[in-house]
Amino acid sequence: MLRAENITKTYNAGKKTALQDFSIHVPEGSIYGLLGPNGAGKTTFIRIINQITQPDAGTVLIRGEQLKNAHIRDIGYMPEERGLYKNMTVGDQILYFGELKGMSKNDALHEAKYWFEQLNIDQWWKKKLSELSKGMAQKIQFVVTVLHRPKLLILDEPFSGFDPVNANLIKDQILNLKKNGTTIILSTHRMESVEELCDAVALINNSRKVLDGKVFDVREQFKKNIFSITLADADPEKLENFLQMNGVQQHHSDNNLSTFEITRHDDQNALISQLVQIGKIRSFQEKIPSMNEVFINAVGNTGAL
Amino acid sequence: MLNILKKIMKNILLITKREYLTQVKKKSFIVLTVLAPVLMIAFGAFIAVMLKANETQYTVQVLDKSGLFADKIQSDSKLKYVSVTPDKEQQHLKNLKDSETVDALLIIAPLQAENFEAMEKGSQLIINNKIGLDTRQRIVNDLSDIVRTARIKAMNIDESRIAELDADFKLKSSDIHDTKKIDSDLDFGVKYGLGMILMYATFMFIIIYGVRVMRSVLEEKNNRVVEIIISSVKPFDLMMGKIFGVTLVALTQFMVWITMALAGALVLNTGFSTMKDTLPAGSETMVEELDIRQMAGEISHILLEMNVPLVIFVFLFFFLFGYIFYSSMYAAIGSAVDNETETQQFTLFAIIPLMVGMYGSITIINNPDGPLGFWLSVIPFTSPVAMVARIPFGVPGWQIFLSMVLLILSSLLMVFIAAKIYRVGILMYGNKATLKELWKWIRN
Repeated sequence: MLRAENITKTYNAGKKTALQDFSIHVPEGSIYGLLGPNGAGKTTFIRIINQITQPDAGTVLIRGEQLKNAHIRDIGYMPEERGLYKNMTVGDQILYFGELKGMSKNDALHEAKYWFEQLNIDQWWKKKLSELSKGMAQKIQFVVTVLHRPKLLILDEPFSGFDPVNANLIKDQILNLKKNGTTIILSTHRMESVEELCDAVALINNSRKVLDGKVFDVREQFKKNIFSITLADADPEKLENFLQMNGVQQHHSDNNLSTFEITRHDDQNALISQLVQIGKIRSFQEKIPSMNEVFINAVGNTGAL
Repeated sequence: MLNILKKIMKNILLITKREYLTQVKKKSFIVLTVLAPVLMIAFGAFIAVMLKANETQYTVQVLDKSGLFADKIQSDSKLKYVSVTPDKEQQHLKNLKDSETVDALLIIAPLQAENFEAMEKGSQLIINNKIGLDTRQRIVNDLSDIVRTARIKAMNIDESRIAELDADFKLKSSDIHDTKKIDSDLDFGVKYGLGMILMYATFMFIIIYGVRVMRSVLEEKNNRVVEIIISSVKPFDLMMGKIFGVTLVALTQFMVWITMALAGALVLNTGFSTMKDTLPAGSETMVEELDIRQMAGEISHILLEMNVPLVIFVFLFFFLFGYIFYSSMYAAIGSAVDNETETQQFTLFAIIPLMVGMYGSITIINNPDGPLGFWLSVIPFTSPVAMVARIPFGVPGWQIFLSMVLLILSSLLMVFIAAKIYRVGILMYGNKATLKELWKWIRN
């Protein structure tokens, strides 16, 4: 769907680099997570896709086509800093933004009706935005973003400002949109939503891409071969020997259960056959890092946050 | 190409429409539009009342030993002369000291053998309460007039012949290009007044609505709506839409006010024509005694005698383009800062040239066709106010044309420059741009 190739963007006559040689590929119909600490360059990249700013070098292709003005209608963008007109009614506002995206008034009205029903907000049409709570305004913001049925949806921190109930509501809508073929780029630093929603991610830090790939692969890539093991009825002597040999400092014994973590780079089956001789294996699990750990690790490795 | 242009126009139109409707629907707009003329008139009336309230009638006792003045001196609403018996001078002086109602005692020395100088020397005004300088001058004038008449009589000259001597040279002037044009003081006054009104209106409007554009830009920047809009339309479209929207708001307000003013003028003008029919031929002197209503009638007559369509056209044109010129400047300022307090340094650039134009125009009005008038009304920074101030007096066609062309070109240039600043500025948060940075944005 979207392919960015070697994007570089600098500000202040080259003194400040926002993006350096940045390339990603967002597959059609996927949810793609754009991760990174504040100031990493996420927003710059999103602005480039939205043609708000132009890159100094590199190209963005949408379905193989060079990014051009007409693509604006295919993109829906919800910035992190939400913005709507405070003294305009919800209805007027939605029609206005729809028309700016090239919809006819009737089309916008029709589509708005659908979304207002989906989000249970049909009674808000005539209210001014200043009369709504922050969470309510967020819903309107979401409708404004998806009203023109964009093929590519860019959501910057979509869940900030929502209570858990409404966050779930929006999450369902995002998954729904994906089911209907919308490609979604999600920029966030909330890792739990990444694990839940994203098919693939790219991690940006200090204006460079640190890593990218499918969520599974990325987590795999960061695993440290740590295994969490619980044995029952372990032979104390054999266990002690085993722990010492493998350099395990801490272990926890409770009744007849012994729990410990171990780092092993050799074959897992060899490890299991060793364990079988010590006691009964109650649980054996390889620890795969969460996206949160990946994030902290990767960002930590590159030396800045 | 045509399609892109069409899309841009559509976008600008959409933004214009929104800007216009949100501003016009505001209660404050409706109230201001209807109330402003009423408030203006009320304000004028208030000032008039205040001036009136400051007027007091002074009472001056006249102790006339000459017998020349007592029955000739005239009282009016400002000054009341009260004759007192000439014999008890000391008594009157004593009374004056204690009196709260009598402001002064005028003692006229006796007139002997028509020796007016001696009488003048012997006379004096004894003041109890403070009386204004103009009141004293008034007394002097009253006395001089009476003495003058008495002297003429003493010289045995016919009074009517003296009047002939005093008669002013009545100089009629007319315009060689337009024989119908009356060139009177009133005519000048009316045109001067109109020029000033139009100029102030333009000045105020450019500033008020320019600032409105600036606020609107700032508002969108502050509530971050701007990022959503410019992901749909180009910043240039947004800026232009905004400027046009506020222009329409201003024009709406103006049309309402012009309609109100014209309706008023027409009503008064009807009064003037009926009055003129009832006047006997050759009674021009009576014009001086016309009451205010008739005066107003004459003023509207002069107004309607002017090339009204041209005046309105020039006014609207310079108002419009002057406004576009300055409001794009204001839009750029609004985009370059974060909040209104930071705008002050930059708004000076937008206000000072206008001030120069305005105060310059006040001085050129005595010689509207002079070189200063020419330059002020041709240079785009000042022409919106200066040309409008000159137009009631008539401006040569080529000057209007030259000024219009220059203003259009420089407005386009200003829009171009502003768009460059605006494009970068609206996405800059947290720091106020310096002049150096602005220059860099323009050059980019």
